[in-house]
Amino acid sequence: MSTAQPDGEAGAARPLSPHLQVYRPQITSVLSIAHRLTGALLSIGIACLVAWLVAAAAGPESFAAAREIAGSWPGLVLLFIWSLCLVYHLLNGIRHMVWDTGRGLELTPVRVSGWAVVGGTVLLTALAWVLGAMVAG
Amino acid sequence: MAKFRLPRNSRVRVGKAHPVPQGSARRTRFKIYRHDPDSGAGPRLDTFEVDRDTCGEMVLDALITIKDDMDSTLVFRRSCREGVCGSCAMNIDGVNTLACTKPLDDISGDVRVYPLPHMRVIRDLVTDISHVYGQLASVKPWLRSQSAAPEARERLQSPDEREKLDGLYECILCFCCQTACPSYWWNSETFPGPAVLLQAYRWVADSRDEAGDERIAELDGADELFRCRTIVNCTNACPKGLNPARAIAEAKKRAAQSHR
Repeated sequence: MSTAQPDGEAGAARPLSPHLQVYRPQITSVLSIAHRLTGALLSIGIACLVAWLVAAAAGPESFAAAREIAGSWPGLVLLFIWSLCLVYHLLNGIRHMVWDTGRGLELTPVRVSGWAVVGGTVLLTALAWVLGAMVAG
Repeated sequence: MAKFRLPRNSRVRVGKAHPVPQGSARRTRFKIYRHDPDSGAGPRLDTFEVDRDTCGEMVLDALITIKDDMDSTLVFRRSCREGVCGSCAMNIDGVNTLACTKPLDDISGDVRVYPLPHMRVIRDLVTDISHVYGQLASVKPWLRSQSAAPEARERLQSPDEREKLDGLYECILCFCCQTACPSYWWNSETFPGPAVLLQAYRWVADSRDEAGDERIAELDGADELFRCRTIVNCTNACPKGLNPARAIAEAKKRAAQSHR
């Protein structure tokens, strides 16, 4: 019979059981890592937003250059990703705020609100771009 | 920083494929994590084929069939075989659960069986849970009170007070939730984890316990209570249908109120 030993010499020699490698992705963990990822991407996005504001403050030439970068294909793709991140992070942030009140933590509400956040993200992002395209003509 | 890759001595190799039983019409393939500390070879994944017509309904029945008929060296913990003792907790089909209450029919394709995740493996499916037990002991999971006990009777609770313990006291300490939690994977040295926090809150919620504020103060901190990121993998894994995520949320609320 093996006896449990403290995590000393024998513990260090013992293999670590697989974790991320074998755990089936759950709606819970996938949305959680997405929240962190979108948060990280948004913190890069906010630096670009500041750069855009600085360009606007610096004068018409620099603002025109900033507009050109933002309106280019790579610029539009980045803006799309950031808008998606913003909407997701905002909606999931509301979900977290509700959880912090102790509500909505039963399994069914967790799953329903999770899928609602995913659906809402797609919808609101699409809506923002459609409205944007209409305003821009 | 979290280490996402397994250490070199922990990577799982392809193991032995055991012979297919003859004359069976209905078979299920099992891929089972094996580790023999005496071999010095490290973990491997063995393949077994189980005849479903001569085997019981649950994953534990299949493991016992394998141990009895194919490979007596397979090691796993089990006792009650009815979801009460918590011994046979393991990672089955990618999710932590009890082998004894997990029906084979719920699993499509090969049945993959691993030990509880991100734990030190003693042998095969048996992990070293002494650190978790230590963490459990550190929250003093027993009634703490200063007031004198009533004369010749127990400390009474109203039905409403007793009801507050529902969903908390039923925990069987299988640690399915504990080892399903990514926060626990990356911070097990300092983070108490969902099972231990649920147990701590079970006493905070108990009307007879008088150390609630003290319990919350001991858990209050960025590395303890607030290392929980509300991922909710814990509640998603609990084979008893309990809700560690909600218990932790309630404990966080108590901690936040104590800051006012």
